[in-house]
Amino acid sequence: MAIRESLRRFRRKPAFTGCMLFIIVLILNIVVQGWSTCMSGGVTAENIFAFFKPSALTSIFMSNLPFILITIGQALLLIVGQMDISIGVQIALVNVVCIMVPQTTGCPVWCGWLVGFAAAFAISAVCGFCCSVLRLPALLVGYALTFLIQGINVLIMNVPQGTVPMAYWKPYQSSVYKLFNNPPAFLKFLDYIPVAALVLIVVLLIWHFFSRRPFGKHIYAVGTNPRNAFAVGINPVSTQMKAFLIKGFFVGVAGICLTLMSASGNPLQCEEYGIKSLSAAIIGGMGWGGWGSISCGVFGGGFLVLIQNTVYYFFTLLSKLVAGFTVSSYWHNFVSDLIIFGGLLMTIVTAKEQRKTLQQGLKAQFKRGEKNVR
Amino acid sequence: MSDKSINRDFFSRLNLFIQTHTALMAVFIAIILLIATFIVSPSSLNKVFFGNIILLTIILSIPAAGQTMVLIGGGMDFGVGAVMSATAILTTYTMRGQNGHFLQVFFIAIAIGAVVGLINGICSVKIGLPAMIVTMAIANIVTRMQYILTDGVLSGSASPALAATVSYRIFGVIPAIVMYAAIIWPITFFILNKSRYGKQLYMVGNNPTAAGLTGVKVDKIRIISYVFSGVLAAFAGILGAAYMATARCQIFDGYAYDSLIAVIIGGTTFAGGTGSYAGSIAGSLVMILLSNLLTSFNLPSPMRNILNAVILILLLMLYNRSKSVRQ
Repeated sequence: MAIRESLRRFRRKPAFTGCMLFIIVLILNIVVQGWSTCMSGGVTAENIFAFFKPSALTSIFMSNLPFILITIGQALLLIVGQMDISIGVQIALVNVVCIMVPQTTGCPVWCGWLVGFAAAFAISAVCGFCCSVLRLPALLVGYALTFLIQGINVLIMNVPQGTVPMAYWKPYQSSVYKLFNNPPAFLKFLDYIPVAALVLIVVLLIWHFFSRRPFGKHIYAVGTNPRNAFAVGINPVSTQMKAFLIKGFFVGVAGICLTLMSASGNPLQCEEYGIKSLSAAIIGGMGWGGWGSISCGVFGGGFLVLIQNTVYYFFTLLSKLVAGFTVSSYWHNFVSDLIIFGGLLMTIVTAKEQRKTLQQGLKAQFKRGEKNVR
Repeated sequence: MSDKSINRDFFSRLNLFIQTHTALMAVFIAIILLIATFIVSPSSLNKVFFGNIILLTIILSIPAAGQTMVLIGGGMDFGVGAVMSATAILTTYTMRGQNGHFLQVFFIAIAIGAVVGLINGICSVKIGLPAMIVTMAIANIVTRMQYILTDGVLSGSASPALAATVSYRIFGVIPAIVMYAAIIWPITFFILNKSRYGKQLYMVGNNPTAAGLTGVKVDKIRIISYVFSGVLAAFAGILGAAYMATARCQIFDGYAYDSLIAVIIGGTTFAGGTGSYAGSIAGSLVMILLSNLLTSFNLPSPMRNILNAVILILLLMLYNRSKSVRQ
């Protein structure tokens, strides 16, 4: 009885759509990846569950954590009724700073990370200032800031270069089990927990701390209707600025993860992440202003990541099933984009309530004042 | 009356003027940018410069026409750039530098534009997904199709005859593309200002509920605005291909944002229901002059990007701020 009740409550949660899509794709991924591996390596238990191989788990978490983190940041901004499509180049900025500060000044690596965090906070504050203090349309501000940040990136680092000491990236790119020098055998299960997953959990716990504070309620009030929020004594501008700064924290962590993942710097990467994170958040069940939760961001980001993974294994499988079947990687992108579009269509089947908030919020988002003051 | 209050009065009146005469403001900004260009590089005051400005403005003003209609109806179309790139590639791919394929290309391109516009319209209006996200998702799919068709390599070029109808300079100054503008601009003006459809579109954008109550088919009007946008973008893609001669994938993707910002600078709002095509043309001129000015500064490209961003934000600040919650 209690299970049924909690299930019903879960269905009304904003994250329901995203969670369902995520689970579907997860199962699909496990099946396709297992099948594909079995075709090449023979049917063994290990190959059937190839998805759960520690190395595979570690690599998928490690390479996609930056994207999932910025989707969470984007979700937070969507709750508060804003957005930031320059978020992709922002993590490139952190990446560039993290590499260049130790390289040029000779200070330790962690020092560069601190400066990277500062850069993430600063650029988020600029974006927040334009969007909530100056009240400019968030979409166009994000577009303009993309130019600005890319310019800054290239000024700091003109060509892709730099390295990170192995002592830093090695732990990030491994599982918890491998962190120990001489691990006892009963800790073997830790091999299934990548360090990157641990980072994600820590970040979510930090968010959990914020969401329990009054701020966690204020973001919903401001996102739904800034005017009403103001009337009950919440300062919309400061709430939105705080949301932008917390997004800056997510961007900082994501940028450092990106640095550890690639172990080098590239000033012009990740631009497409800005829009991709936005659609990921929408697929995860976010609405525009006052609707959705951080878990929507996690599920949406995970959905996009798993789709790409699945499509890759799907085409490998096809090439083994059908003799002489080869296609370019353009087909991979095409099919994954089609599925993402399908995911978008799916969101409306499950969430009618969400749709309403979405549209109202979108209007409020872009409204340039009252109709009669023109 | 003290000095201070006179000052405040002047500024509030200036502010009101800016808010109410956005199309005129765009023309002012264009003139300022033009003067700035001449100050920065006096040598650019020649026939070639004016010809190029006119040509590029006209190419941008065509997708901007569709974007204006969609924004007036209360939507947003990010598919413009992808459709332009797709039809540009179709043009070069089909023509392969030979004359005599124009009608074939024209009808296929228009059909592509109409279909993409229709899908955009149905997904964002009937199904009710956020216009920005869904048009972007569809634009992505269109972009991927370009890569699949061409395998990511340059192929073919526009026919010489078509290129001549765009780039040939009448009297050595005016590019021949004004012929196309002479057809499309009046049609757009007619649709928006004189036709029944235009009136209904403004009404739908202003207040969809009221429009629905007076018997306007709200969804239909909005979907048609997306179809117009797709068709106009498709046509602009052909002209763009004729101008560039060859086309790579995603060549005109930037036009999605450029047209949007041109339309916004021209005084059309995100909220829908207001705006004019004259403003959008002026906004297109501003965008072209701005990028031209930035090139003529001869800055390294990162500095140019930064300056571009700062100017864009300043332009937005001028008259695109939403109202404070305290008012």
